[in-house]
Amino acid sequence: MRAAGITVGTGDVLTYFAAMSPLDPSDLADLYWAGRTTLVSRRDDIPAYNEVFGRYFLGQGTPAAALLRLPATAAAELEAALVMPGTEPGPEQDEEQPVLGWMASDVDALKHRSFAACTPAELAALRRIMARIRLTPPRRRTRRTRAAPKGRVPDLRRTIRTAMRMHGEPADLYFRQRKMRLRPLILILDVSGSMADYSRHLLQFAHSAKQATARVEVFCFGTRLTRITRALDHRRPDSALERAASVVVDWDGGTRIGQSLDTFVRRWGRGGLCRGGVVVICSDGLDRGDPGLLAEAMERLSRLCYRIVWLNPHKGDDPHFRPSTLGMMVAAPHIDLLLSGHDLASLEQLARMLPTLS
Amino acid sequence: MEYPGTVRELTERLRQGSYLADRGLATALLVSLSLHRPVLIEGEVGVGKTEVAKVLAGIFGRRLIRLQCYEGIDTNQALYEWDYARQMLQIRALSERQAADEQAVDRLFGPKFLLERPLLEAVRAGDQAVLLIDEVDRADDEFEAFLLEVLSDFQISIPEIGTIRAESAPAVILTSNRTRELHDALRRRCLYHWIGYPSADREIEIVLVREPGATEQLTRKVVDAVHRLRELDLAKPPGVAETIDWVRMLGFLGETDLTVQSASDTLGAVIKDRDDLELVRQNLAEITSGA
Repeated sequence: MRAAGITVGTGDVLTYFAAMSPLDPSDLADLYWAGRTTLVSRRDDIPAYNEVFGRYFLGQGTPAAALLRLPATAAAELEAALVMPGTEPGPEQDEEQPVLGWMASDVDALKHRSFAACTPAELAALRRIMARIRLTPPRRRTRRTRAAPKGRVPDLRRTIRTAMRMHGEPADLYFRQRKMRLRPLILILDVSGSMADYSRHLLQFAHSAKQATARVEVFCFGTRLTRITRALDHRRPDSALERAASVVVDWDGGTRIGQSLDTFVRRWGRGGLCRGGVVVICSDGLDRGDPGLLAEAMERLSRLCYRIVWLNPHKGDDPHFRPSTLGMMVAAPHIDLLLSGHDLASLEQLARMLPTLS
Repeated sequence: MEYPGTVRELTERLRQGSYLADRGLATALLVSLSLHRPVLIEGEVGVGKTEVAKVLAGIFGRRLIRLQCYEGIDTNQALYEWDYARQMLQIRALSERQAADEQAVDRLFGPKFLLERPLLEAVRAGDQAVLLIDEVDRADDEFEAFLLEVLSDFQISIPEIGTIRAESAPAVILTSNRTRELHDALRRRCLYHWIGYPSADREIEIVLVREPGATEQLTRKVVDAVHRLRELDLAKPPGVAETIDWVRMLGFLGETDLTVQSASDTLGAVIKDRDDLELVRQNLAEITSGA
């Protein structure tokens, strides 16, 4: 099961054995259900559990193995596309040092160069700079309170405790104030065709935002939508991104934005994943599917989340950009902030504007 | 706590309490009772996650202690709270009468002034209770961490009184609607079961057990219609509770068959969203047509 990707602790294994004692170990159904109850702890792991159980206890296996090989080759291709130039110090570091002795104007020019036009060395430099930028979502007030010098709600407990010391005279009134908390951040990235160049840099942001203990969810889409949040759990961005690349399977070109957003809204949005959160969509708006579907999905999404930010690399540096593709025109009424995200300067702008979204 | 020895016995007893549990759920409950571990039940809305706890308490004659979680719930609401107002009045009364001696002040922190909340009640009741922690996904991370601590040892230390231990752990059932990912540590502590929608035959059985006055013919048509509704990709697909409500409403209105007209009149029992309502009305004939 561990090979299939489900984490099973030793404690769980012991529990499984203990669970079999009131049940009948020779009954296959009991074995199945006891294992499912003790070893599996999320619904998404159930299919993997079923497969492993079938293979182990019933000797089924080859058809599933053949099926698994297909996505593996597609994933390898995508991995090649999504591979990032490394940021960890390596032997090339010494050679690059003189390159990095740029003057301020050079760095500035680099920040405004579109990602698609950068050389690998420049991309590496950019990533090093990006690793220091944090995406901080805006805050919201929660229902939890904490002690504060002034506030709307009196802090009964502290007031009376102090009063106890003075024979029951409430001398000082203490108050409570509502705590602030970061809103969840949801990134939905288009990784089809040319968008992969731009989206991979947002993946870097997603990784560093996750390290900052904000609630971050990351999804990728091309022809289908896939959730890659868990694949980004590693500390080192490169291995995290490699793991992410192995999960996104669609690689046949073309984009179905409407379909993917619709899937997001139905499967995760309704479950409350993006409730009160900020959704950042990075896509060029070239949708191969039905624009009506995109319109409906955007409308539902705007009702579910707090704000929608759209990054469209075609916007470039043009401040008077008007959406020209059908997809962008359809989505425009629901977008709260439209940025370009085509170079580092615009990503820095995103990082600056995000905490102040209201 | 005496519990049935086999899955079959437990299923039978649940059936006597009007709850039809499938094999997986009965196994999970049996293992949970035997090993004294909590069980986390996730599932679609309206499939009977909360109900199973109530029935379990009923059939074994235990008290049901329910902790309904919401965002921002903290130890004061879940564990215990001192009755501050009373303490204050007491101490003022005592100081007026000059009777505020050591003992009186000690009594201020006695059981008379302690408001016990569900978790503390459960610890005191021990295995005489079934603890239902409902919709734990609505609470937040801080609450989960604290809950984990309580569920691990079943002992609560109140600084002024001491430590209260449960001699035997109560049965604990947690439910979640998956609106938020629960922390791994809490998941590891609990056994896990997912309740999905039942099959058509199973759902007919459930409705007939829950609504004894319903006819089988009507129930069959209603269940078929509900299954078609679930395929329709609605914003709020109907759960088993909605099916039962629909049959009940039709029965109350004296309908014996599910026609387009009767369905249209009673749609409010099963569809609870405006967009869904429009979508369903367009396809009503197809949904209510017989199998």
